[in-house]
Amino acid sequence: MNREFLRLVFLVARRDYLRTVRRRAFVAGTLLLPLGMGLIFAISSVSSMSLGEASGPIIVVNESAVPLAVDPALTPDVAVVDRATADQRLADKSISSYYVVPAEWPGKPTVLFVEPTSISGERPNLAFARRAGDQAEIDLLLRISIVRAAGVPDAVLAQLMAPVTYESASGGGETSEAQIIGAYIVPYAFTLIFMLSIFITSGYLLQSVTEEKENRVVEILLSSIPALPLMAGKVLGLGAAGLTQVAIWVGTALVALPLINQQFSLDLNISPITLILAVLFFALGYMSYGAIYAAIGALSPGAREAQQYASFFGVIAVIPVVLLPFFLTDTNNLLVIALCLLPLTAPASMLAVLAISPTTPWLLVLASLLSQTAFTALAVVVTSRIFRATLLLYGVRPSLKRIAGAVFARA
Amino acid sequence: MTEVSKSFGATEVVADLSFDLGPGEILGFLGPNGAGKTTTMRMILDIIRPDSGSISVFGKPPGVEHQGRTGYLPEDRGLYRDVPVIDTLAYFGALRGLPTKQAHDRAAELLTDVGLGDSLTKKGAELSRGMHQKAQLVATIINEPDLLIVDEPFQGLDPVNATMLKNLLVEQKERGAAVIMSTHDMEDAQVLCDRILLIDKGRRLLYGRVSDVRNAFSDGAVEVLGRDLPIETERLPSASHATSYDGSVRYLLRDGRTAQDLFRELAETPAVVERFAVEAPNLNEIFVRSVAGDERAKQVA
Repeated sequence: MNREFLRLVFLVARRDYLRTVRRRAFVAGTLLLPLGMGLIFAISSVSSMSLGEASGPIIVVNESAVPLAVDPALTPDVAVVDRATADQRLADKSISSYYVVPAEWPGKPTVLFVEPTSISGERPNLAFARRAGDQAEIDLLLRISIVRAAGVPDAVLAQLMAPVTYESASGGGETSEAQIIGAYIVPYAFTLIFMLSIFITSGYLLQSVTEEKENRVVEILLSSIPALPLMAGKVLGLGAAGLTQVAIWVGTALVALPLINQQFSLDLNISPITLILAVLFFALGYMSYGAIYAAIGALSPGAREAQQYASFFGVIAVIPVVLLPFFLTDTNNLLVIALCLLPLTAPASMLAVLAISPTTPWLLVLASLLSQTAFTALAVVVTSRIFRATLLLYGVRPSLKRIAGAVFARA
Repeated sequence: MTEVSKSFGATEVVADLSFDLGPGEILGFLGPNGAGKTTTMRMILDIIRPDSGSISVFGKPPGVEHQGRTGYLPEDRGLYRDVPVIDTLAYFGALRGLPTKQAHDRAAELLTDVGLGDSLTKKGAELSRGMHQKAQLVATIINEPDLLIVDEPFQGLDPVNATMLKNLLVEQKERGAAVIMSTHDMEDAQVLCDRILLIDKGRRLLYGRVSDVRNAFSDGAVEVLGRDLPIETERLPSASHATSYDGSVRYLLRDGRTAQDLFRELAETPAVVERFAVEAPNLNEIFVRSVAGDERAKQVA
């Protein structure tokens, strides 16, 4: 690789990078994820604030024969009052509603809900969510009260109500519900974000090639620079644009993860080594698909046809996402390993495996990297040949024989 | 270029084509549509490779090392629609080996020279057809190439802009650049070119200096001005046909007869000859006759 080759690659890469990152569509697409996350937080915070403001104590009037045993630990929000007090507080609007446990309870398992007007002044969704929370706590109160009334000692009651903790048999320690949710959300989100980036970035390459073909700039380019550095420059420049996008998204995710965990009581995390490998697989995945998309751009008579052909490869790439349940069940599954080694399914598969596996499967990582690197190198060389032989066919679909001739021609 | 052939599938596009070109020379590359001109030009530029034969550019096979010394204006031309024309040209200049800053300055200078000084920041989509064409010719010469290949450079231009760009080409020739110019305009070829190469179906029909080619076809007609010039060709065995107009007669010579034969025959008649001119056909006529299979083309093939 001589100096002139590198100079040409750098020139094309710099130009395509700057042109892409300055586009409004790129800026909008890149900022969409952080803005979307911000919006979700804003909505979530406003909702919880609204819920908090509207909640206050849950007022319960007991008209049954069973004494209601309020437990500060299990039912902290419930306050049992008499009917007159409840009506008084409703009248002076210090509460918006209250519940009545009727005299026939527990024979008839019904609780009355009293409010002056139906959810007036309150958004229906918030009222519904608040009421669901209140009723869960009242359910608990009623059950505890029945058990207590039956003479069960407090010590037994405490054991009865204590949440059960499940521990990993392999000695991995406690597995909380938050961790279980995280184990599902992280692989899906991680794989989807990186795959989305691969396809958005490959799409830029397809767009760049078809655009230069359609506006007839390509012939001037090919008279100024050989096909290989032109292709390589495009792949690198647009790949760098894609990496910029990924860096912004991942950066946002890293900043947002602790906030998400706090807000939704989750335990989501990504290790630094997983991130580094993910970027590597992103780069290889992008280069494989980018090279294929560039060839499609060169072969297609127009942008519309190019998009149609490209969508076929999009379907292949999302196979691992569709089969993600297999990955979640066992990452040593033969199907999973095969998908990790096949070049076109490897990017998504490896991203999923990296997100799911508690430890990095180095052997699989290495084998997949080798497979993808070999495929990428082959794809770039083959594509540059197709590029050179077919890019100047305007409005014509080249024959398979011609494509094969270009691929196997001597350099 | 020596005995170069190129086929696409079963179609032979260029067949055993040979020619050469020296510095400071303009070669008119002529031929009907689909004759193989564009394919030939692309092979010289190493955009596509020949199946057989050899091409030598600056003494070596075509390749990346020449791309900084060549300039190409393709027939299907374009600029980036959403990029300022100065940036597009600076990019092309940088690809052809100019440092980025120099490419930018040179693009500005040349665009100003062709009257686009106030349109430097206009985007490709905002330029008129004439402006487009001028900008593209500037892109072709931005690196002061030693070999300039232009495909139909004046197509669709108004006379003022066409003259401006013709002068630009002549300047390049005078600077010492070798120019290959494909054109369908025979008048342009006759005026601008030192040599012509006419091809049809990929094969060479005519090749040589413009004056030599015209002379080879010049035995076709003689224009005589005078009095009592005979119209009946029975008295002039060398003439096959005579047409009278505005006091002169145009004689078409029979095959194998020369203008001198006709002159001698006229001298034996009572006609008074005031002017006797061998009429060299223009390139347009030669083009049509050659493509139709005129035997005289073989003399200068």
